[in-house]
Amino acid sequence: MIPTPFDYIAAKSLDEAVALLGKHGEAAKILAGGHSLVPAMKLRLAQPQVLIDISRIKDLAYIREEGNSLRVGAMTTHYALESSKRVRVVSPLLAECAAAIGDVQVRNRGTIGGSVVHADPAADWPAAMIALRVEMVCAGAKGERVIKADDFFVDLLTTAIAPGEVLREIRIPLSQGRTGQSYKKVRHPASGFAVVGVAVNLGLDAAGKCANASIGVTGAAAKAFRAGGAEAALTGKPPDAAVAAAAAAKAADRQDMNSDLYASAEYRRHLVEVTARRAVLAAVGAAK
Amino acid sequence: MRLEGTHELHAPRDKVFAALTDPQVLARCIPGCESLEKQAGDVYTAKLSAGVGAIKGVFQATVRMADMRPPEHYRLIVEGKGQPGFLKGSGDMDLTEKDGITSIHYVGEASVGGLLASVGQRMVESAAKMLAGKFFSALEAEAQK
Amino acid sequence: MATKYVGNRVKRTEDPRLIQGLGHYVDDIKLPDTLHVAFVRSIYGHARITGVDASAAAKAPGVVAVYTGKDIGKIGGVPCASDLPEMKKPEFLVLASNKALFVGHAIAAVVATDRYLAKDAADMIQVDYEELPAVTEEVKAAAGAPYVHEQFGTNIAYKLTAGEGDIAAAFRSSDKVIKQRILNQRLAPIAMEPRGVLARYYPGEQELTLWSSTQIPHLMRTQVALMLGMPENRLRVITPEVGGGFGSKLNVYAEEALLGWISMQLGQPVKWIESRRENFQSTIHGRAQLGDLEIGIRKDGTVTGLRYNVFADMGAYYQLLTPAIPTLTGLMLSGSYKIPAIQINVTAVFTNKMSTDAYRGAGRPEATYVVERAMDLVAAELGMDPVEVRRKNFPAPNEFPFKTATGLFYDSGDYVLALEKALKNADYKKLGEEQKKARAAGRLVGIGVSTYVEICALGPSAALPAGGWESATVRIEPTGTVTVLTGASPHGQGQETSFAQIAGDELGVSIEAVTVIHGDTSIVQYGIGTFGSRATAVGGTAVFVALQRLKEKASKLAAHLMGVDPATVKFADGRFTSGAKSMAIQEVALHAHLAKSLPEGMEPGLSATYFFEPKNFTFPFGTHICIAEVDKDTGEITLQRYIAVDDCGRVINPLLVDGQVQGGIVQALGQAFYEHVVYDENGQLLTGTLMDYALPRATNCPWMELDRTETPSPVNPLGVKGVGEAGTIGATPCLVNAVIDALAPLGVRHLDMPLKPETLWRIISGNSARSA
Repeated sequence: MIPTPFDYIAAKSLDEAVALLGKHGEAAKILAGGHSLVPAMKLRLAQPQVLIDISRIKDLAYIREEGNSLRVGAMTTHYALESSKRVRVVSPLLAECAAAIGDVQVRNRGTIGGSVVHADPAADWPAAMIALRVEMVCAGAKGERVIKADDFFVDLLTTAIAPGEVLREIRIPLSQGRTGQSYKKVRHPASGFAVVGVAVNLGLDAAGKCANASIGVTGAAAKAFRAGGAEAALTGKPPDAAVAAAAAAKAADRQDMNSDLYASAEYRRHLVEVTARRAVLAAVGAAK
Repeated sequence: MRLEGTHELHAPRDKVFAALTDPQVLARCIPGCESLEKQAGDVYTAKLSAGVGAIKGVFQATVRMADMRPPEHYRLIVEGKGQPGFLKGSGDMDLTEKDGITSIHYVGEASVGGLLASVGQRMVESAAKMLAGKFFSALEAEAQK
Repeated sequence: MATKYVGNRVKRTEDPRLIQGLGHYVDDIKLPDTLHVAFVRSIYGHARITGVDASAAAKAPGVVAVYTGKDIGKIGGVPCASDLPEMKKPEFLVLASNKALFVGHAIAAVVATDRYLAKDAADMIQVDYEELPAVTEEVKAAAGAPYVHEQFGTNIAYKLTAGEGDIAAAFRSSDKVIKQRILNQRLAPIAMEPRGVLARYYPGEQELTLWSSTQIPHLMRTQVALMLGMPENRLRVITPEVGGGFGSKLNVYAEEALLGWISMQLGQPVKWIESRRENFQSTIHGRAQLGDLEIGIRKDGTVTGLRYNVFADMGAYYQLLTPAIPTLTGLMLSGSYKIPAIQINVTAVFTNKMSTDAYRGAGRPEATYVVERAMDLVAAELGMDPVEVRRKNFPAPNEFPFKTATGLFYDSGDYVLALEKALKNADYKKLGEEQKKARAAGRLVGIGVSTYVEICALGPSAALPAGGWESATVRIEPTGTVTVLTGASPHGQGQETSFAQIAGDELGVSIEAVTVIHGDTSIVQYGIGTFGSRATAVGGTAVFVALQRLKEKASKLAAHLMGVDPATVKFADGRFTSGAKSMAIQEVALHAHLAKSLPEGMEPGLSATYFFEPKNFTFPFGTHICIAEVDKDTGEITLQRYIAVDDCGRVINPLLVDGQVQGGIVQALGQAFYEHVVYDENGQLLTGTLMDYALPRATNCPWMELDRTETPSPVNPLGVKGVGEAGTIGATPCLVNAVIDALAPLGVRHLDMPLKPETLWRIISGNSARSA
């Protein structure tokens, strides 16, 4: 449990971090909260030669509202999101998802940016990112670019962030009108990761029908995905138990399920359905 | 671990088969392949820097092709060893062509050992599928040349 | 004796230093010029080692030495203390040279100036392997090739039959014989502190000191001295704070001898601290028994006979007690019941895995699980209440000492008393009504019961390989403080508190005045160690008797000093009194040390040593009841209540007893629901980290409603029985019985542990052929 030798540089600014990444190329990794990278390094599964620590950069950890969106700095800890009263009001899914991660120690140290960039297939955040249709603001040598959540998670441990880029901010569009959100997960008893996690963000119209639905699923496949079939089955309908069940049954459509020692692909597919149903009903219940 | 899958390549079967058995093409298609040299007959040695995301390892591998029946079938046997452990696998590749599209169906057994096995079980299968996907995408591009 | 401390909830005196991080574990011991060792371990379950190239590592920065199997020829093999008839005995060398027989088998040791450089260099060592087919399944292993040890021509380590009564006749006379295959899966002990060794050799003094995280410092000293071929009195073992053991440190490991040897080669201190990965691979595992159970019954629920044909997975080699564990299973197969005929047939097999050995309960949880599952199988077969089946087969209180068909004499017990108390605490009748309602509403709610007995206070020396006694020295220092030296070196049990309670009460002194010293073979007289729920019953008794001897001497001296007839002297509250004259025991102690006026023939000083050897084991017992609900959609289990009534004889400290019971129940929860060491068919260890190997968390635990009955043991003067393993032994079947009861309406009678949600979901959804 000892990493290979590496150099450590504490970047003082985001520009410096980007410059260092450009200088060291593939030999370098960005260190955020260190809760995925450091364990991998200790197992020698990851052997970066240079660690660029961005935890000391001021102004990368913040939560603020701007217009109709919530801006969350990449170095914001899970605990900050879980415990923010304002987040609970304007984006309850963020707070609920944060609270479902690991344990208190992990949440105090781990960051939302570090988690989404690592893109662990069983991490909780990716489901919420997709359900909330967030935008990832990435800083690079040529300036910033914005990547939508749906384009961000590319494959197992792989995101659309290009070499040389650093995630700076996550922008969460704030829902208007009657909205309901929920995150439900089946916890792995050892790792605490999501065997399956489903994030639901839906809007109801004046008649109580589902006007829009956005559902992200994590833990189930090689990467988090949007449950398009389930969303379509909800939209335009009164989201009662039968509709929720019918929608949930489509949540894993056309997706290859992961299989491991704890849960077979078949069981995971079933858990996606159960968890999606529960999350949809909880979101409907939360919509006032 | 059983691996099975089908990839459709927009290229004629003869070209796909030729690409699949051309060491220089393979060297370009195998994810993380740093070198691939012919050792004897259908046996090649390769240096692979394989990985997914932040997780990477360097492997010394031997690649052997057997049961060659151009352009429809061959068997691929890979053994690799490196700091994160070892991997070995063998699989049958069956190629069929329809309307200018070549389907490669592969069925094989793979196993990993050492660190990879003891800490990576939850991701090994997904990683294998992902690397296979990358390989076939690159192969398609080669066969279309 | 006035009991100011004994029987009260005295807070652990160990805790202030531990919770402030001020304790000293092996890794906290820092010696100048210490070198660090990293191991190269096999990545194959079974392979021929065709070459080890350490040339690059030897030249790497900071590297002082590299050792492989060729270099260590003079170090004796890893010791096994148990010996059974016709047992195959493989030699387990401290480094493998020709073959690696399990993943984690040490092949080379790198010594460097720091642990980072040692690990870097270890990664440079090239081991060439020729992979061989691995043996991983018990039944296949017993059937034939491939062999773990070619020289034996078999994988069967030994076969053993035990038990009394005519089992065939018992089955013939039964109304029915129920059969069930039962698995006790392989588990990893996972002490919070992994193993660690620091070795320092002084070439001038020719003295080797080993600091090791162990449960048995003295036995280790003897064994390591033998392995290294050195005089035992030149070897000192120091056991500082130990962060848990659960049996995994009731052992002598390759690393302990090897580190000592390396320090002797280099003349410098060397340290190795086990990583969690190494802990999974090369610290002993527990359980791993797969057996076929047959129970003969009469229609009224009477059990007439029990046979258990069991495969016990030894792993590739024996550690200290590996072959002995199944024999304990055989001894405890009568449970808390009168069963006239019992037979166990053990087939012990070698596999390409880490050795199994004692893990909390060590053979007894296996037996109790089998017997308590058997009782529920009988109840299900006959449509009886599981409680009534148990009651029917209990021995009556007046039948003690009770002889079992496994050859034991249970010392004392009132099984109905504990059962009734648990039923009352649980409100069992109401539970049944609530369960009916829940079932009618379509919910899967189950009630689990287990009425266990276990064997503790190991034990008579005849029953143990290295002495079943324990030692104590007590002395009062010139300034009046009290020192207790115990051979029962603890690893978290709280002996510093409980033994101080005994001394405090016996001498009428404050426990603050008492210091309990343990774990240093140069300070403490020879002792056996802490395991088998023996520390208080055997070690505590040694302290108690030594205190009586010390008081006898002090009383004589007090009479002499006061100038009174010794027969008139009474001792109470720390003072010797005769008529109007009185002296504090501390004053007496000072006079004993000054020795200016002693009775004729009395030695100076005030200390006493006693070695206590019990004439029997003790047999704690109890009843556990729990209520579990299974989520119909996901198969996940929720525990609603947990009720335990344990009888561990007389209680020295209820706080410590509660802690032991709670910890034991949690560890049972681990086996019942979560834990399983999984090797694949090639011998690869798939559960190699705590990301995959699930331990129970605080959030998984139900509130535990603990209660007790107290039936003193006649085996020792304290009347204590032991409680270190009771929770684990009683709770495992209770938890499983509850879940199986929850699924009983679906026709389920047995499921193997761990009860994974997917397994349960498959049964609930009719997607399985697993239900028996």
